[in-house]
Amino acid sequence: MPTTTSSSSSSAASSSGNRQADVFSRLASSDPEVKLKALREVKNQIIGNRTKKLSFLKLGAVPAIASALSDADCSSNSSILVQSAAALGSFACGFEAGVQAVLDAGVFPRLLRLLTSSDEKVVDAGARSLRMIFQSNQAPKYDFLQEKNMEFLFSLLNSENENVSGLGASIIAHACGTSVEQQVLCDAGVLEKLVLLLDGSLSQREACLESLATVLKSNPEAVSRFVGLEAGRYMSSVTELTKDRYPRTRLLSCLCLVVIYNTSPSYFLNMGTKSSLVTTLLELLNDPGQSGDEAALGLSSLIAEKEDLQKLAYEANAIKNIVDILKTGSELNPKRLQGLFLSLAELCSKLEDCRCSFLSLEMLDLLVNELRHKNADVRTAACICFRNAARSIKNLSAGRFTTDHVMLPLVQLLHDPSSSVQVAVLGALSNIVLDFSSPKSTFIEYGGIKQLIELSKSMDPNTRCSSLRALRNLMFLADNNRKELFYSEVKAQGFVALISDPEPSVQEQALALLRNLVDGCINSIEFVFDEDGLILDTVGRQLRKAPQAQMAIQGMYVLTNVASGTELHKEAVMQQLFPQPQAESNNFMLKFLQSHESQLRSATVWTIINLISPSSPGALDRHVKLRNEGIIPQLKNMVNDACLDVKIRIRTVLSQSMSFGDN
Amino acid sequence: MATSKKVITRDEWEKKLNAVKLRKEDMNTLVMNFLVTEGFVEAADKFQRESGTKPEIDLATITDRMAVKKAVQNGNVEDAIEKVNDLNPEILDTNPELFFHLQQQRLIELIRQGKTEEALEFAQEELAPRGEENQAFLQELEKTVALLVFEDASNCPVKDLLDISHRLKTASEVNAAILTSQSHEKDPKLPSLLKMLIWAQNQLDEKAVYPHINDLSTGQLETLSE
Repeated sequence: MPTTTSSSSSSAASSSGNRQADVFSRLASSDPEVKLKALREVKNQIIGNRTKKLSFLKLGAVPAIASALSDADCSSNSSILVQSAAALGSFACGFEAGVQAVLDAGVFPRLLRLLTSSDEKVVDAGARSLRMIFQSNQAPKYDFLQEKNMEFLFSLLNSENENVSGLGASIIAHACGTSVEQQVLCDAGVLEKLVLLLDGSLSQREACLESLATVLKSNPEAVSRFVGLEAGRYMSSVTELTKDRYPRTRLLSCLCLVVIYNTSPSYFLNMGTKSSLVTTLLELLNDPGQSGDEAALGLSSLIAEKEDLQKLAYEANAIKNIVDILKTGSELNPKRLQGLFLSLAELCSKLEDCRCSFLSLEMLDLLVNELRHKNADVRTAACICFRNAARSIKNLSAGRFTTDHVMLPLVQLLHDPSSSVQVAVLGALSNIVLDFSSPKSTFIEYGGIKQLIELSKSMDPNTRCSSLRALRNLMFLADNNRKELFYSEVKAQGFVALISDPEPSVQEQALALLRNLVDGCINSIEFVFDEDGLILDTVGRQLRKAPQAQMAIQGMYVLTNVASGTELHKEAVMQQLFPQPQAESNNFMLKFLQSHESQLRSATVWTIINLISPSSPGALDRHVKLRNEGIIPQLKNMVNDACLDVKIRIRTVLSQSMSFGDN
Repeated sequence: MATSKKVITRDEWEKKLNAVKLRKEDMNTLVMNFLVTEGFVEAADKFQRESGTKPEIDLATITDRMAVKKAVQNGNVEDAIEKVNDLNPEILDTNPELFFHLQQQRLIELIRQGKTEEALEFAQEELAPRGEENQAFLQELEKTVALLVFEDASNCPVKDLLDISHRLKTASEVNAAILTSQSHEKDPKLPSLLKMLIWAQNQLDEKAVYPHINDLSTGQLETLSE
């Protein structure tokens, strides 16, 4: 018996789904009136509504609208052209999947053609949608080097229509990448055209500022050309715009100035300008929208490596402001978080006041939390923040960084899939392991040494380098237990592999690590003699290969430390310095003594001091050998070495020398 | 009454005021700016013809903008949205807060009309996603949805939302966004001048006794004892 069921009220989801499907089917109608109405409906539903964009996208709306546009193009139906272009533009607005769909639908060339329409509304719609596409990373590459492309670009810039000229500027802002492209654009007179937009409408001004930043970035010639335009008038305009009433204009003009400052700081001799640039960016950090996100990154870029600006920022209360924003508790955009952490990191990079101020604000817990953020850039930035804050010896020795609460998440990041995070956390750990205040090391307890050794075998040279740096710091003034623990994981063969790494920077860190390993008590020297002196032989071999100065310095310090030991140790060093009679006297010691690097000269002299220290029996013989090889005479020539440290060491050697009855 | 402040009589004051020279053109510009920003198209047009003062923007664009503002003031939010999108599709696409407020107003209008089921559906389909897309809107969203919970919405804790003033607030927001997109300042200059006047009088009060303008609408000078 058939039963009747009472119709339940349809859930919102399914009825809206039906409505969407209905509109979608009307898009394909052959009746232009129906089609136009459907297009308007779709457009009005998706504008501002990311959720609807996604659901219409899944229905396949984009190809449908694209074909409506193509048909209208052929039949010159303006209304349909306008509505379909506007709909496509909305799909592409800030929605990457939408941009992809629009490009995949192959409608890009059609949109370009709309720019030549006689109907102003069609031109506007086309220009707007193209501008949305060009704001995305997926925009098609624009070949500036092709003449007809340049002509087209300039025709856009010359247009009276502000959407069209804005499009031209947008293309430059997002597609110009290389210095060659910057050059080609400048030579074609793009700067002169762009600056005219500064006096235009709001959107033209903003497009102009964005494109200027792209063209001037890291290009001193372009910067000089821009600043020279009308005796600096436009440079002043941009500076004035940092006080504009619209936040986005303030932001874009600041970013432009940051680019100019980083490329050619000489145009910013006026302290007032630097100061107001810093304070404007700090104010913009509070903007809740996109401007705030970009301001944070802009600030970090501005103060990077510049102690004077870091000081200015600190005095303008930057640390407190940034910490307040971080503590608001609301979900911050990853880009903003990254920018804020990088800014904090830069502030703490050189100034102890900043570090103390930052750490006194109870920030460690928050920072530790962000180590688990799902975005790799945020994790990296948080690690860099840790690294720089840990440069504060006062706070480090107060044990702030070596609690389990901090250590564990950091050590866990050694396994992070992203190599930039790995390198960043290695940097942080390198500093943290320098804490000598605690007798036990939480890091080692968490199996840190094993992990570092694993990472020293990574495919990425930066990771290898960073892990060795951390190990080097870990072995600094370490006790025997720690050294044994470490060595047992590496062994002679492992060390040989590290010292023979293809990357010079990695070799350098490996040798520095070895230097620290053999430093200290005499027993430590025995490591290099393991397996028949394999490690010592490798060091000697590397030194004989005419290495880079930085590597040579570490290598010589290894020899210095070994030569500070017993007779046997000193003789072994002599063996490495002067192996079996060679065909030509390829004496690297002489070369090192003549190096431009004072540290290398110093390290070499130290080795000599240890070799001929009068308290050891074989000193006299070694002295004779050194004299015969021309080393002692060379030192006599260096009594007035430019470097004070070297000079003093040489005097030590020469007085030792004299005690052997040498003139 | 002895006072350390300088006393200025009405006569002296009026003399000082008369010594200040103003240009007629400046005042005309102020009036035009007010008419244009507030959207009084016909008045602006007439004023242009009678005084020769040029409006700062094309009067035709004012008509479109006023249509949007009027639609919101009348509670026809859907219509307003369509008109804004015709004017410039980027405005709502790049202004999440404004878009949210317009959607919110739509919901309020549905509730005001007693269309509870439709309102519920709308809240679920249109407003909830806004809250998902942007956490900052959650609090306001909750407030608005609270209207649905009460039997008598006009007497609940959030009844202010139903007030006509809320429509005006939303209308003003949309008006400002359109003006900004047209690179026009969203506020007329006149209020700023009046605020400056009040501030200046407050500052001067600390130093002197003099005739005040207390009623801005009449601009009458009143001495303290009156």
